[in-house]
Order: sequence, then C-alpha cells, then structure tokens
Amino acid sequence: MNSEVQKFDLVILGRGAAAFSAAIKASELSNGEMTIAMIGVGPLGGTCVNFGCVPSKYLLEASHSVFRPEHPRMAGIHTTMVKYEFSEVMEGLRSYVGHARDTKYAKVIENYSNVSLFTGLGKFVDKKTVVVSDSNGKDVAVVSGSNMLIATGSHPTVPNIEGLKETGFLTSDTIWGINDLPESVAIIGGGAIGLELGQALLHFGSKVTVIEALDSLLPQTEPEIGSALKMYLEEEGMKFYMRARVSKINKNGGMKSVEFITHKGNEKIDVQEIIIATGRQPNTEYLDLKTAGVDTDPRGLIITSRTMKTSASGIYAAGDCVSKKMFLETLAAREGVTAVSNMFGEDMKIDYESATWAVFTNPQVAGVGMTENEFSRKNGSCSCRIFSLENLTKASITGETEGIIKITVDPKDNTVVGMQILAPNATDIITEGAYAVGKGYKIDDIIATSHIFPSISEGVKLAAQSFIRDLSKMACCVE
Amino acid sequence: MKEERVKLRIYGMTCDDCVNTVSHGLKKQDGVLDVKISLKDGSGEIEIDSDKIEPEKLLKNEVFEKPSHYRATLMDQ
Repeated sequence: MNSEVQKFDLVILGRGAAAFSAAIKASELSNGEMTIAMIGVGPLGGTCVNFGCVPSKYLLEASHSVFRPEHPRMAGIHTTMVKYEFSEVMEGLRSYVGHARDTKYAKVIENYSNVSLFTGLGKFVDKKTVVVSDSNGKDVAVVSGSNMLIATGSHPTVPNIEGLKETGFLTSDTIWGINDLPESVAIIGGGAIGLELGQALLHFGSKVTVIEALDSLLPQTEPEIGSALKMYLEEEGMKFYMRARVSKINKNGGMKSVEFITHKGNEKIDVQEIIIATGRQPNTEYLDLKTAGVDTDPRGLIITSRTMKTSASGIYAAGDCVSKKMFLETLAAREGVTAVSNMFGEDMKIDYESATWAVFTNPQVAGVGMTENEFSRKNGSCSCRIFSLENLTKASITGETEGIIKITVDPKDNTVVGMQILAPNATDIITEGAYAVGKGYKIDDIIATSHIFPSISEGVKLAAQSFIRDLSKMACCVE
Repeated sequence: MKEERVKLRIYGMTCDDCVNTVSHGLKKQDGVLDVKISLKDGSGEIEIDSDKIEPEKLLKNEVFEKPSHYRATLMDQ
C-alpha cells in the first residue's frame, strides 16, 4: 500500500447518485479546481442505474408490452398473444443498464480531471482521513479531505428467516442476473420494490404471491390508493397474504416452500423462486462512524440536519445512508448538491415536503406532500377530495379507469398540502402536485391553469374543481 | 477578543490581482484581523476575532458571492 496520505479538498465515500451530483456540483462551484476523491465499490452509478430505478423500469415496460396486447380494453381490438424470449429481454435489460451506466456516469466522470476514483471500501481513521481497502481487505490507499461527504447508499435487508439462506432467494440487487422466467414466485414484502417486481413478472406470465406483514400495501399512501391498487393487482392475478409473517423456508424437490402465519393459522405455498423485498439498510457498518464522531439512528442511518451536516463538523451525508422518511434517487442527488453548496458557505436546506415519490406499477402511484391523516393530525382538521378516473374522459376512452386522484388542502385557505395519484402516467402528472405543494398554490390556481382535454392530467383539474362544485352536474370543460 | 486562525481553500485565483481582490475583500469583513493569501496553494490563512465572527461567515464574504467567481471552503474544521 502507498501509505502516504493523499490530500484532497473533498473526499466522497460512495459513487452513486448522491456522490455524482455532489462531485459535479463541487466541480462547477470551484470551476474544476476542487480536488475530489470518490471512493466506493460496485459499479459506478450506485443502486439507481445498476439495480434500482433503471432496470426495474425497463423490466416493467417490457412486461407491459407483453401484457397489454393480451388484455385489450377497447371495442373491436382482439386479444393478441405476444411472442417473447425472456432471456433476450433480460439480455436487453443488462445491455441497457450498461449503456446507461457508461453514458450517465462512467463517461461523465471522465470529463472531470479533478475527480480521482478509488475502488474499495473506505473506513475513517480520524475525522478527516479514511483508509481504502480492496475486496481482500488489503489497505490500498489513505486519503484525507478538508470536507467529507458520506454517500455510501444502501443494500437490501435480508430478514432472519429459518432456512432462507440455505434455500436461496433473489433480491432487487440480484434479480437482474436471471435468464429464465420463474413459473411461480413468492415475494416477501409488499412495498414499492415488491409490487413493481411482482407485476413485471406477473405480466410476463409468472404466478405471483405477495406476503406482507402489514395489513395494507404501500403504507405511505392514502389508504384509498393502497386498497385500490391491491384490488387492481388481484384482478390481474396477483395473490396477497396480508398481516402474514414468514416462519420457515425450505427446499421441496425442485421447488421452494414458504411457511407463514396469518390470521387463519399456519399456511404454506410452494414456489419456484423467492424474492426478498423487505426494505433496504444503509451501507454504514464498515465506515467506523464512531471514530469520525458521526451519529446514527438505531437503524444505522446517519443523522443530518436539513443542511446535510452530520454531528461531526466538516462531515456531510447524502443519499440512502441518511436518516429520513423517503429514499429516492432524486432526493439523493438533491442532498448531494445541498451538502456541497453548504460547504461553499451557502444556506441551502433540503426540501422533503415537496419531494415527489412514485411506484411504477400499472396504474402508477405517485404522491407529494402530506396525506389527509398526516395533515389532520398536525393541524386538527383538513379538507380533501377524491376524484375517480371513471369520471375522466381520457381514461374512459382508453378503458383505464382504475385510479383516483386525491388532493388534500388546508381548510383555512385552500392551499394544496398534498396530492396522491393512482393513474396511468401518474409519475408524470405528479409534477403539477410538486409545484402546488412546493409553491403553496391554492385550489383556484389549479382550476385557473389550462389543462389539455382529454388527458389524464385533466383529472388533477377536475379533482380541484370537486372542492367547489358537484362534478356530476358539470358539463365537459367547465372552467 | 478571542483570536483564531482559519484556513481557507480559495478557488478561482489566477494572478496577483486576484490575490489582492480576495485579500482586500476579506480584510473589510468585521472581525477579520489579518489575511495571508497564497496564490500557489490557492489558500488563505485568516486571523479572526472569533468573538465577532464565526469561521463559516468568511465563506459568505462578498468576494465569494456571485457575480464574483471566487469561491472558498473551510480547510480545518
């Protein structure tokens, strides 16, 4: 090992979305003068491009291309069975992920001569110095920085279930290597990752069973949305066991047996594959944060202020290793920018309240701001309306009427405080909600804004209008 | 008065005029006692009265704010 300490202006632990956005922002602010060390393991770009958003959306879109022609919704359109080769879909997926990683990360960072990449795990030896070790545990470098940013991300949580490790399973990190479609799958965990992977495999033809510990899906959503999505997925053929706790897993010939306890007692299913989707945990164990004086919460997530400063001066954190409510690539990138901006003396604070989140099932789920329950608990009362897509012309035309739009407002002045959408393209439409919540728009602002007719986005306007009139007595396009 | 030495990494300096501009700007700031700038290292050692100014406030000096192209970060924290 080169034991000489290599000095940098900024040391970034991690090389995912938060790390890249921080490195690029720091380079911009310093006109490329800031010397930056970026330390990490795994492919460049981190979870989002390699194991998260990008491959999962690719798989979902491919699966919808198979499913939709087999389930036409408009008169006169006949069922068409789509021929596909799953192994080639997966090959295409991996090729696209490689392309996205190269163009959005690997080639991008080559343009920054001020950034030095170190492959290995970083561990603090003091507040300003980290030792980098390779996959064999051998120390390969010592680097120090005037400022430090921890952006090491997270990895899937694997629950301690008897027989799980011996039987074998997939996670959202490992599923991308498969070439054969499992004939049947048990997904343990009914959160966003489990439902997205579940619907993708279901649309390709797998029999999918979701086993969820809670009594509802997507607990961060409005209850109407979680239950509507569950109903829709059930109609497609997905099976759910709610309030179920997996007790044992074992091999049963060529199959895998999953034993679990529900209100009915002990139950068991045999499946070809198991996917663990019970959440993610931060990559902070190896860092020796105690030595650096960085405080964490009981889950190991790093506690920061809204400026992304940790408990140790000069050490910032960003991304999925940070203690917060939502873990999103977009937030990670914003946190990286916030941390670096504050290193340069700005007073930037992360805005979690108007951050949008999404679940890319079909129909999609997207939201921003507070739920009805959250606002009521905080303020004593609220006002909200739920608009069904059954009353939306565009949805009626395409036959995609499974969905709702819920808007929550402050009853004092009709300021929009939350919006959740279950609809096709909800992930695009929610940006209107982000503006509304972030800028403090009122219901009248949405109503007064032109929306295309017929479109799904028109549903947001109609949801807003439902605060002031009975929509059943309203003609098309009334302003 | 409580004297403290603060080390800044200063970005954007290319010539002696830059050094003068940054130095002059920092010296004007209330609580700054002395300024030594190194063009070669892109750094500065600033003596401050920490009863009057926190080190981070140096980063908000006018000379480091837009439209100026100079920027700074703290080196020892």
